[in-house]
Amino acid sequence: MAATEERLRKLVDDNLEIDGRTAGEPLDPDRNIAEAGVPSTDIVAFWKLVNEEFGVDIPAEEFAGLLTPAALVAYLDANAA
Amino acid sequence: MTSAPATAPWWHPFATPEGATVLHVDLTPDAAREAGASSWLDEEEAERWRRYPYSGPRRQFALCRAALRAVLCEQLGCGNEELSFPTSAHGKPAALVGGEPAPVSFNVSHSGRHGLVAFAPGGRLGVDVEELGPRRNLELLMEGVLGPAERAAVRSREGPDQPRFFLRLWTMKEALLKAHGRGFLLDATAFEIPPAVRRGATRGTLELPQEPGVIWQLEELGDERFAAALARDVSPGPAGSGAQR
Repeated sequence: MAATEERLRKLVDDNLEIDGRTAGEPLDPDRNIAEAGVPSTDIVAFWKLVNEEFGVDIPAEEFAGLLTPAALVAYLDANAA
Repeated sequence: MTSAPATAPWWHPFATPEGATVLHVDLTPDAAREAGASSWLDEEEAERWRRYPYSGPRRQFALCRAALRAVLCEQLGCGNEELSFPTSAHGKPAALVGGEPAPVSFNVSHSGRHGLVAFAPGGRLGVDVEELGPRRNLELLMEGVLGPAERAAVRSREGPDQPRFFLRLWTMKEALLKAHGRGFLLDATAFEIPPAVRRGATRGTLELPQEPGVIWQLEELGDERFAAALARDVSPGPAGSGAQR
């Protein structure tokens, strides 16, 4: 689980631009990234990047329910190859 | 909660597309403005404002929500303390005055230093704004939200025109998804912006395959600073504004 979290944080650091966030800052596991102010284009890119990075194919509708780091880590640990 | 912002308004009329009004909200960092804006929020909004972990989204929320409150108070002739904004199951807010549904449709979008607030007397509507500039992961974004003809149209552009054109298409699609009310849950690759609009027309209509018979009007609102669009349900009948021309 820690490894999955770390890979997710790196994806966020490398790809999401959040005004006021410093790269490397830990992610709040229970905070929905849309509610944290991540722009919609970044969320779409993040969805595609997560699919690529973890070799999964999460449908958009399902990803919309996985927008907290904790939910996404749990999903990936259960479903990623 | 106070009854009026303490500083000069940071929002101004931007466009009046056919029965709707769109305001531009200046989101430049300004501590006095943000303090004034936050004093206009109700308890639930102030709690949400405090919970934002990052300064940019926190500022965007306060400045846009206070601007929305100010213009709706003026439009509806009500006091700030009477207004509340419950959200739907998919996160789209609606306006209540004294707990009763208000006769207004509205939508808000922000990106970087720019916010847009759109409102109309009725009918579903959505607005989206994206600050212009290079985009990382453009190919992935295209794959995530554009249909095949739209992707080909973006790829045919070069240099800074490519992300600009992508954002033009994206803001139209996002405005429509927001107007629809299901946002990210609708597959944006399953419909395409009409060819005439892709080629440069600033207004067009389309029907979503999931909702035959419902007519959506798209209107481009962008300028040299940002891409932006307004989408409205202009179908005749109760859900639409009936504003189709």
